[in-house]
Parts: sequence; C-alpha cells; structure tokens
Amino acid sequence: MTDAGIYVHVPFCLTRCGYCDFNAYAGMDHAMPRYLRTLLAEASLAAPAWREERVVSVFLGGGTPTTMAPADLRSLLVHIQDLYSVDPSAEVTTEANPDTVDRRSLEALLSAGFDRLSMGAQSFDPAVLRELERVHSPDSVRRAFGAARDAGYMNVNLDLIYGAHGERAESWERTLLETIALAPEHISAYALTVEPATPLGRRIAAGEVPEPDPDLQADMFALACELLRDAGYRHYEVSNWAKPGYECRHNLGYWERRPYLGLGAGAHSYRDNARWWNVRPPEDYMNTVERGDLPIGGSESLQPEDAYLEEVFLRLRTLEGIPASWIDDDRALPFLANGLLEEDFGNLVPTERGMLLLNELVLALAGN
Amino acid sequence: MSTDTSHIRNFCIVAHIDHGKSTLADRLLEITHTVEDRDMRAQYLDKMDLERERGITIKAQAVRLAHEGFELNLIDTPGHVDFTYEVSRSLEACEGAVLLVDAAQGLEAQTLANYHLARDAGLVIVPALNKIDLPAAEPEQRAEELAALLNCEPDDILRISAKSGQGVPELLAAIIERVPPPVGDPAKPLQALIFDSMFDPYRGVVSYIRVKEGELPSNARVRLMATKVESDAEETGVMSPEATPIDKLGPGEVGYLITGLKDVHQAKVGDTITLAGKNAATEPLPGYREPKPMVWSGLFPAEGGDYSELREALDRLKLSDAALHYEPETSTALGFGFRCGFLGLLHMDIVKERLEREFRLELIATAPNVEFHVYRNEEVEVVHNPAEMPAPGTFEKTEEPVVLATMLTPSDYLGAVMELCQARRGEMVDMSYLTPTRIEIHYVLPLAEIVFDFFDQLKSRTKGYASLDYEPWGYQESDLVRVDVLLHGDPVDAFSSVVHRSKSYSYGKQMVERLKELIPRQLFDVAIQAAIGSHVIARETVKAKRKDVLAKCYGGDITRKRKLLETQKKGKARMRRVGKVDVPQEAFIAALRIDDSAKKEKK
Repeated sequence: MTDAGIYVHVPFCLTRCGYCDFNAYAGMDHAMPRYLRTLLAEASLAAPAWREERVVSVFLGGGTPTTMAPADLRSLLVHIQDLYSVDPSAEVTTEANPDTVDRRSLEALLSAGFDRLSMGAQSFDPAVLRELERVHSPDSVRRAFGAARDAGYMNVNLDLIYGAHGERAESWERTLLETIALAPEHISAYALTVEPATPLGRRIAAGEVPEPDPDLQADMFALACELLRDAGYRHYEVSNWAKPGYECRHNLGYWERRPYLGLGAGAHSYRDNARWWNVRPPEDYMNTVERGDLPIGGSESLQPEDAYLEEVFLRLRTLEGIPASWIDDDRALPFLANGLLEEDFGNLVPTERGMLLLNELVLALAGN
Repeated sequence: MSTDTSHIRNFCIVAHIDHGKSTLADRLLEITHTVEDRDMRAQYLDKMDLERERGITIKAQAVRLAHEGFELNLIDTPGHVDFTYEVSRSLEACEGAVLLVDAAQGLEAQTLANYHLARDAGLVIVPALNKIDLPAAEPEQRAEELAALLNCEPDDILRISAKSGQGVPELLAAIIERVPPPVGDPAKPLQALIFDSMFDPYRGVVSYIRVKEGELPSNARVRLMATKVESDAEETGVMSPEATPIDKLGPGEVGYLITGLKDVHQAKVGDTITLAGKNAATEPLPGYREPKPMVWSGLFPAEGGDYSELREALDRLKLSDAALHYEPETSTALGFGFRCGFLGLLHMDIVKERLEREFRLELIATAPNVEFHVYRNEEVEVVHNPAEMPAPGTFEKTEEPVVLATMLTPSDYLGAVMELCQARRGEMVDMSYLTPTRIEIHYVLPLAEIVFDFFDQLKSRTKGYASLDYEPWGYQESDLVRVDVLLHGDPVDAFSSVVHRSKSYSYGKQMVERLKELIPRQLFDVAIQAAIGSHVIARETVKAKRKDVLAKCYGGDITRKRKLLETQKKGKARMRRVGKVDVPQEAFIAALRIDDSAKKEKK
C-alpha cells in the first residue's frame, strides 16, 4: 500500500475576495445539500480504484468548507472513512474562515475527526484586510483562534498574505508578531500573487492600483523568515512554517509527489504520473456525477521529462531539496557559490534567497 | 517599326508625394484608352504591392500612350530623396516634365529640387496645379508663386483635377504642343540609356531604356558599356501598359529590353547600351554613376540558425536591387550576419521589410551609420562598420559625409528651421525668398544628422509646412568617436555607434536608458555603461532580481505551474547571452529601433 491523500473541494464562500481565483462562489448556499450528496456519490464512484492506497491525510479546502454545517462535514468524513482505507492516525484538516466558526461548531468538527484547523487570517492590519476585501476583522481572528483552543484544537494553521497595495514592512511585521503571539502550530505566509482573471487583476491592468512590488515582497519574506525562525518555527516550504512535528502531511504529499485523489468541482488528482481534474463549474460537476459518471474534465499523462521537471521544482520548494547526484556539478556550483543553494547531507537545498528565486533555480538546474 | 520622332513626346511628372502624380497617371491611361475602363484600377502603375502599401513609387516605369497620332511616353520617377540618382536618369530619358503642384499645399522642397534637376537636364516644364476642386485650393495664389519661380505668366499654368479628370485633356494638348520631339539619327551607332532595371523571375533582367542614337533591333547582340557585359537581346518592346513586344526601338523611343541577363548588376541604371561588334558606339552617354550606399547597418537573423536563409534571401534580393550592398559580418553578440549598405533609411526599411515579408525572416538591424573616413599614418581608411573604428588616439583625424540640404519654409518658421539646423551642426549656405512669405534655404549638414529624425523634427517645428531635399556634398573633417555599450563590463558590439563627439553623451545616455528598461533583471546587478574607449560617459544599473517564485503550489496548481516553467524556459532559449547577461531578442530589436516617428519622414 502506498500513502495517499484525499482532497475535498467545497466551493462555497461568504463573499468573493478580489484577489482570489479559486473555484469558489458566494451566494450559492442553496446548492449545499445537493453538492454534499454529489460529493458522497463521487466518493463512492472513485473509491474502487483507490482501495490499494493508505489514506494518510484528508483535506477539506475551498472555498470555505465551514460554511457547511459541522454535521454535514461529519457525514462526509464518515463516508470517506467507510469507503477508503483511512489510516487511524491520518491528518484530517478543514479550512475555516474566522467568521464561520465558534467554539460549539469547532467542538463538533474536532469530535467528528477534523483534528487540524487551517484558518484564513491573512493580516492583522484592518487596512490590509480591507484592501484584500476580507470581511473579517483582526479581532474576529483572535476570537476564532481562542475558540479553537477552547474547543481543544492542538494543531492550528493561520494563513497570512503579504504585499497588498499600501502594506508596508512595519504593518507586515506587526501582523507577524501578532500571529506569533497567538502561537499557532503552523503558519502559511503567501506573497500576494495577482491573477489576471480576478477583480484585483483587472484593477491592476486598468491602472487603478499598482502591481505588488517584488522587492518589497522579498523584504517581507526575509522578515518572515527571521521572525518566525526566532519564534521556533521551521521554514519547511517556500510559504510554510511549522513548529517541529506539525508540518502539514497532506501538503507535503503534493511536494513529495505522493498520490492524491481530489473530490469536488475542479479538484485535481494524481497517481503514477497521470493527473486528471474534475469539471470546474459546480453545476456541471453535479450533473455529471448525478448521471453516474466520474466528472473528469481533463487529464494529462506525464512524460519522463515532465515528471522530472515536476520532481525538481516540487522538491526544491521544501527543505528536503533534491539529491545532489541528480544535477551536474557545473550546473549546481554557481548557485552553491552565490548562496542560492546549499548542500545538506547529499541533497541540494535552496537557501532562503534561493527559495525566492526558485523559478530561476529550477530552470538552471533542470532546463536543457 | 519605329515612329517618326516628330510624333514622339517623352515626359515625366515631377510632383511631391501626395500631390497626385499616380492619380494623374491613371487619368492619362484612361483618357488615351491605354487601359480599358473595365481593367482600370487605382494607382495602376504602382505594381509592386509593397509600393502600393507605402504609397510611394520605388521603381520608375515607362508607359506608352497613343493619342491623336502621337506616341506619348510617360516616364515615372521615384519620389524619394534616397533615389535622387534614379530620378536624374529618368529625367535624362525625357524632353519635358509636368510640374504638378497641389493647389492647396503649394510647392514643396522635393518638387523644387526635382524641378531644378529637370531644368538642369534641359527639360521643358509644363506646370500644372492639381486638386483645384478641393475647398482648400488657392489656385490663383499658387499660380502666382509658381509663375514667379518659373519665370512665366500665371495663365501658362494649367489647372486640373487629376481625380475628376477636369483639365487633363488640356494638359495632354499642352504636353504635345510645348514639349519638343526627341532628336536622334537612326544611322548612328546605338546609344540607349538605361533609366531603370528590374528583375523578373521568369524573364531575367528587364531594362527600361531610352534610345538616344541609332536603332535597337529585337534580336541584336548588345553590349553594356559600363559593365562591359555582352548579351543577346531576347525581346524589345513597350509598355502600354502591359509589355508589348516590337521588333525594334528607334531614336527618341522609350521601351524595354530583355537580355536574358540574370542579375541587375549587369544592367545598372545610367549605363549605356550599344550594339556588340563593329557597330558599337565609342563613347557611352554621360552621367553614369555606380550606385553608392549612404547608410550602413548590420542585419542579423534573430534566430542564429537562419544565417544561410538570410544569405540566400540577400542573394535573391540583390538580383533586383542594384543599389544593395552586403558583406558577411560577425558580431559577438548577434553571431553571423551581414553588413549592408543602403541608399538611405527608406531603402534600408524596404529591404528589411522585403526580407521579413517575402523570405519570412526575423531580423535584428544594428544602428545605421554613414560611411566615414579615418586618417591613420597619412593613409585614409573607409569605414562603414563601427567595429572597424580604431581606438581613440591611434589616428590623426576623421571625416564624415555631408549633404547640401534644400529646405522650403514659410517665413514664419525660418527661426525654427535655422535653430534645428544649428543643433544638427549645419552651416548655412544661402537663403532666398521665393515669394514674400516663402523661403528657400540651403545648409550643408552632416549626412548622419539628416538620416534619422531630422525630417520629423523639421516637420514638427514648422507645423508640417517645411519640406526638405538633399544631395551628397562630399566629406568634411569631423571629431568622430565610437560609443560602446557595455553590459556587466562586456562590450556589446551590436550597440556600438560612431557619432560626433558632441552627440556622444546623448547617444550613450539614450542607449543605457533604453536598455535599462529592456534588459530583464538577472540574478546579479547588471551595470549598463556607455563608454568612449575606457572613459565611461553614462551608466545605469539593472538591480538583481530577488523574487521569482510561485507563492502557492498545491495539488491543483502543479500542472499549470509546470507549463509556466516551460514557457519561461522557452523565453530563456530565445535570449542571447552577452558575457554573463541574458538579453532577449526583443531588447536588441527595441534598443536599436529608430523611433517610429523618424520612419515616417522617409515617405
């Protein structure tokens, strides 16, 4: 049996944020019961092909899974546990929005088996939250985090975003310090990335707001590295930090190229150098599954060179890096010399500066 | 069968671009029934689509019109200063010229210059004001100006509308009446002037000729006196307007000759055709000149592998373009290419466009430069490539080509014109009032100052009213320096240019500023420097790139991410490495691009 992960996509959100290009929708809550039935049906349809995998992680993402009732999420998880070989010690995460949870709902989720909570805090600066069009306040993050602790959560992640228009290094430092003060087990800090097909992307294209300044984002990244290291977090992936032992097993699976099954609208799956993805519009997804078909919208078979490129760029995102033996010395040496790579027990690992220039590193090491 | 010369009239139309020359030619074709109504199309004579798109006439053509027992040969003249020599040869084929002037815009410098050429060639001038039906037309005022210039009565000036045909029959009558018939003796040895040559892929070289003396039978063995090439004539004929073979061309006649030669360099404009053997003329017609490139530039394939395609394309193009020069050149930055010589920037533009369009090549053209002289150890070296410029301090002096520029301007803008000429290192020769409000002014100007954006500047400073023409005026001593551009300490030969010392700083500054915008950030700071020898005159820095990574990369992102990397990889493959610096093709093209505004002047 090989270790695998299951990802479940929940496309419902309270509001759409300007920067978000995920497959997520506000105002579609009426479709929740039907969507839940569809997820259960898809899980049943997909299960026979995944009997040989040991599921070591389940991850509910979105969207905002916690817009659905804890009882519904419980029934979903129970169904998955019935159909798949879910390891008893599997990591089971749900994403949450601070405004969709309270102590009671969190207790219900924890007792249902969701033992890891990933919450979108994004910032503790109200101006930045407004810029990101997040509806919650810094206080609601503190309150929701306290509720999680009170409910018994011992493994909580806070998501942060830096580099929004108008955010300065001082503001980002305060956000980091506030986050550190809450002492979550895991912190994801993302440089704001502008996707063209989002309201933010269009505002930038129209010249209404400037593009994020990559140099400022680089400074902010360096600041995060420094403060989080001092606070005892291990920087184990480009945008992820964790107290030792709290690295996200599910996400590590992506970077280590373990198999994963995606359920829900637009979810991607991967196994044995094949990748396929579900149809993206929830309505199409539901219609297809209701006809009794797997809702596959597209697929690709990775050629050896594709697989190698993925192996290199995914592994280089993490502290594990890639075996030095994969790369010719004359390709690696300049980067060992200029401090973008270091060698660690026979592996080539990006330094903090190297992580920020990963595309360049990958092309130089794995390009032809 | 040759026509009695008393019934022949050979004439051309001298006009500024847009003053209606092609439209008038269309009307003449119609009125004389040379082209049937159903076959008529606008700008009939401008055959090549390249010409049609640019609205200019590159190749002179001759067309025979039959009208009331007369044989009228309309000889089309090129309309751009790059082709002044071709204009002068076309004029040599005529006895008269229609001076066509826009009744709204009045005389322009180029028309004036060509008028002078026509007058100097002894042509009878038939002046006509065109576009008299336009609301903005001022025929009375323009007629007076023109009459003053031509020393004639305003009543002698015809008023026409080439568009509607109004006045065109009267113009035809005036041509027949005022232009003298050619003279020539059929018994003398053949002397025929080539005033244009083109290359037809099926027939080989087609030369447009004017027989001055003697007769040219269609089956003669001919000798080209300048190139000393002999060949059998395959066909003689006239264009009316399509090629119509006839068995011989007699004195005074204009027509074409197909020789079976495969290269226009063997039948150059200005050369004299005579018969081979004992009937050959002893002297060629006067005025032959080797086509001489004025502007040089390196042409390099954007894709290094296309070098042999470029060579083949140039070889093919040269068959139809006697003025095109090229020789292999190697650039450390751009690889293998050719240093090419052109008559001017328009010519360069046309050649580059034809190479790209007809041969599907993507090209990088280095900064154009003029040909200059370097005196070293009492010897003169002719240099047309900045790379050949010796190091500062190793030569005695340098010389650059100058031109005599003729500008016409309303007197209100005299100050602006003089200011521009001074800024371009010009020296005034003289000026005179054509009319109380219109000035003709002559300057000697360095060619290098003229060929780029001078005309554009002239136009913008005079609200479009001033016009320009120029002719070569020899060489004069000048303090020339080579400005090099260095990336991260390595000189990039493609960016080097030889300029006057007073312009070196602005050239250097402009190049480093452009390149700062064009060179992508690298993993290290890239210094961009402009230098004369080892002396740095301008500097910019492209700061090292610090961030190039996708923040999020989870299960649904991986495929897209891999494709992004592959795209980025392809982009890198298209870069050229200069020393340690990756420079995109686009940066070479954009950095070396002459401003679009500067190109328009060439029309």
